[in-house]
Amino acid sequence: MRSMVAFAFALGLIAQAAPAPAQDAEALRREMEQMRKQFEAMQEQYKKAMDMMTERLERVEKGAQLPAAAAPVAAPAAAPAPMQPAQGSPPGTGLTAQRPPGSDPSPLDLIKPRQPFALYERRGRGQLLFDMGVTGDFIGNLTQHNVQKNQGGSFPGLENLFFPREIEVSFFGQIDPYARAEVRLEAGQDSRSGDLSFNLAEGNLTLMALPYGTQLKMGKMRNRFGYLNEIHAHDWPFIDNPNVLQQFFGTEGLVESGFEATWVPPLPFYLQLLGGVFNGENDVAFGRDQISNPLVTGRVRTFFDLEDWGAIQLGSSIAAGQTPQQKSSTIIGWDAKYKYTPPGWQHAAVSVVGEYLMSLRNVVVTDPDGIDTTRFRNSQGFYVYGGLQPFAHGELSKWLLGFRYDRTQYPAASGTEWAVQPFLAYYPSEFLRFRLGYKQTTRSQCCSYLDFQDNGGSAKQVSEYFLQGTFIMGAHPAHPF
Amino acid sequence: MRRLLIFALAAAGAWGLGAPSVTPAAEKLRVVATTTDLKALTEAVGGNLVEVDALARGSQNPHDLEVRPSLMIKLRRADLLVTNGLELDMWAEVVVQGANNSKVVPGAPGRVDVSEGIPVLEVPTTRVDRSMGDVHPVGNPHYTGDPGLVPIMTANILDGLARLSPESRATFERNREQFLRQVDQAFVGWKRMLDPFRGAKIVQYHPDFVYFFARFGLVKAGAVEDRPGIPPTPDHLVRLIAGMKQDRVKLVVVEPWNDIKLAERVAQDAGAKVRILAPGVGAVKEADTYLNMIDYNVRTVAEALQ
Repeated sequence: MRSMVAFAFALGLIAQAAPAPAQDAEALRREMEQMRKQFEAMQEQYKKAMDMMTERLERVEKGAQLPAAAAPVAAPAAAPAPMQPAQGSPPGTGLTAQRPPGSDPSPLDLIKPRQPFALYERRGRGQLLFDMGVTGDFIGNLTQHNVQKNQGGSFPGLENLFFPREIEVSFFGQIDPYARAEVRLEAGQDSRSGDLSFNLAEGNLTLMALPYGTQLKMGKMRNRFGYLNEIHAHDWPFIDNPNVLQQFFGTEGLVESGFEATWVPPLPFYLQLLGGVFNGENDVAFGRDQISNPLVTGRVRTFFDLEDWGAIQLGSSIAAGQTPQQKSSTIIGWDAKYKYTPPGWQHAAVSVVGEYLMSLRNVVVTDPDGIDTTRFRNSQGFYVYGGLQPFAHGELSKWLLGFRYDRTQYPAASGTEWAVQPFLAYYPSEFLRFRLGYKQTTRSQCCSYLDFQDNGGSAKQVSEYFLQGTFIMGAHPAHPF
Repeated sequence: MRRLLIFALAAAGAWGLGAPSVTPAAEKLRVVATTTDLKALTEAVGGNLVEVDALARGSQNPHDLEVRPSLMIKLRRADLLVTNGLELDMWAEVVVQGANNSKVVPGAPGRVDVSEGIPVLEVPTTRVDRSMGDVHPVGNPHYTGDPGLVPIMTANILDGLARLSPESRATFERNREQFLRQVDQAFVGWKRMLDPFRGAKIVQYHPDFVYFFARFGLVKAGAVEDRPGIPPTPDHLVRLIAGMKQDRVKLVVVEPWNDIKLAERVAQDAGAKVRILAPGVGAVKEADTYLNMIDYNVRTVAEALQ
């Protein structure tokens, strides 16, 4: 038995190590055949072009005056003849007038070893690739020592640090004619130790070819609840998470695994209806984490286009599930956005966004005798943001002035906090942005729920200075309104 | 539970089977084009058998359109989406995603890429990245400015329309032939007007008119933008003005949405004129049809170079 194994092993080694002239010859033949086909296709293309030019020449000589490169009127629509490359592309720019024939990668190109991204550099139509992009979002914040000690800042546990909030690698594109997918991998620092946490921020597919104006999305996703939740942090119109969203959904927001269906009815105005079923993985609001006791979501979104006077989007959302303590929890939200882009401007001059949320949940309260009782809590909160970018052109058009006001009650304890935050943003280009901001937060009846009691409630007044740098590299989908 | 499952499966089946897939012949085809140029060309081919709407308005820069849900509602009931195909209108994919219309998703028969077969200019032959500005990796997408490419563009549109309405192919072909005859006729006049200025050097604000220049033998002599999509730095403007003086450039052309005052300052320092050209149908008042757009651009350039 042992000798048989040794023999088989030796045979395997020989088979791998020995050259295979027959296979090489076959591969070369296939390559030659491929080249021959490419050559014939090229020949055919040039023949067509020459025939066309001959025909044009004849017509010109006969007096028929045609545009210099116009194809014959009766040219078959299915196969437009190649045109003469237009003249005038200046030399020395690294640009050519026309993509060389046969430049699309052949199957042989695809299997040959190559440098990373070599194929991407030869990108042309017909190449099978999805889009990919990398975004980086870095935050620096300065605040009082007592706030750091109590982790009472806008970035809890990361006070007085400069840290990568979100480095994201995203892939997105069509799977087939029926569906598209997006996968976002994310790394970020979430503790003072400096260690990075890596996670799947999103990974989902959307069935786009369903009938009657419907779509179905499944996988892990940022839920379409309200205006901000579905947007990744690097794309937020301000630096930090609004207080109400942080208190109601936690630092990461509502990110869930499950299904989401949308319907856009054929109406003269835009109306989107959405329903979703999810595990309920949110630690703060919906932590039951099982699809048999699901988190159920719904959203209605509509839109009014005021043409030159801007546009308004209105939405209403609901999420109902159970808390980690298996108590019922429902959050209802209303959101509105107005954007005014003067005619001919590249960017909005004025943007206003607001969200109002209401949390209705049962919470477990322990009385001084150590007895747990369930109480119903109704908490509310909102934020309003305004952005002003009043210059259309020139250096000043790269600057934006923003302001946000937050006010929220705590969803599981008594107490309120409110904050004001002015900031200044600078956009050297559409792919690079810096922000400098100041935030003043005031908390009332602070608040065993937030664990600030260790320092006598000294995180009641919080002053924070922010610096943010954000970049986008590679592909990035256009943002919805 | 079992009944529920059977009901769900039956409902899903009925839902899938019930999808309308063919447009009744009597109805007009509902077409949405991403830009006004493509709308005009589609109207020329489709005639009264189509109803065409555009997502971008002529006065809007199609490079970075604000994706509004009102665009999605235009696309919600469309049978056909006509696109530029060279990444000028990449925002259209976000509109498609929000429109919930299976007829126009990528790969569906209701998609037309007008750039098929276009001899694309300015295709980068070197590695490109964003340090070069907003470079289009597949080449310059502003091919609709060249009237010589109308046969190819309309052929692609005809193909798309006939795919959805094969019984109307003959009418589409007649419309196309008629339109091409109009283009041919107008081209004679345009050529006559610009022939005396062949080789004239012109500065652009953004490379929107490369195809137009190439068609009429005009030469681009630089751009006001530092790199495509990147606003100019003072150093760049100094170099540009010096180059314009040296090359005796007499004309700077701008798009209506660009910084016209800056272009005027550059032109004044270099001893040149500034003219607004129409990069698309509807970009200026006079460019209300495709033929009028080309006519306006030709006349404007010819008058300025006199």
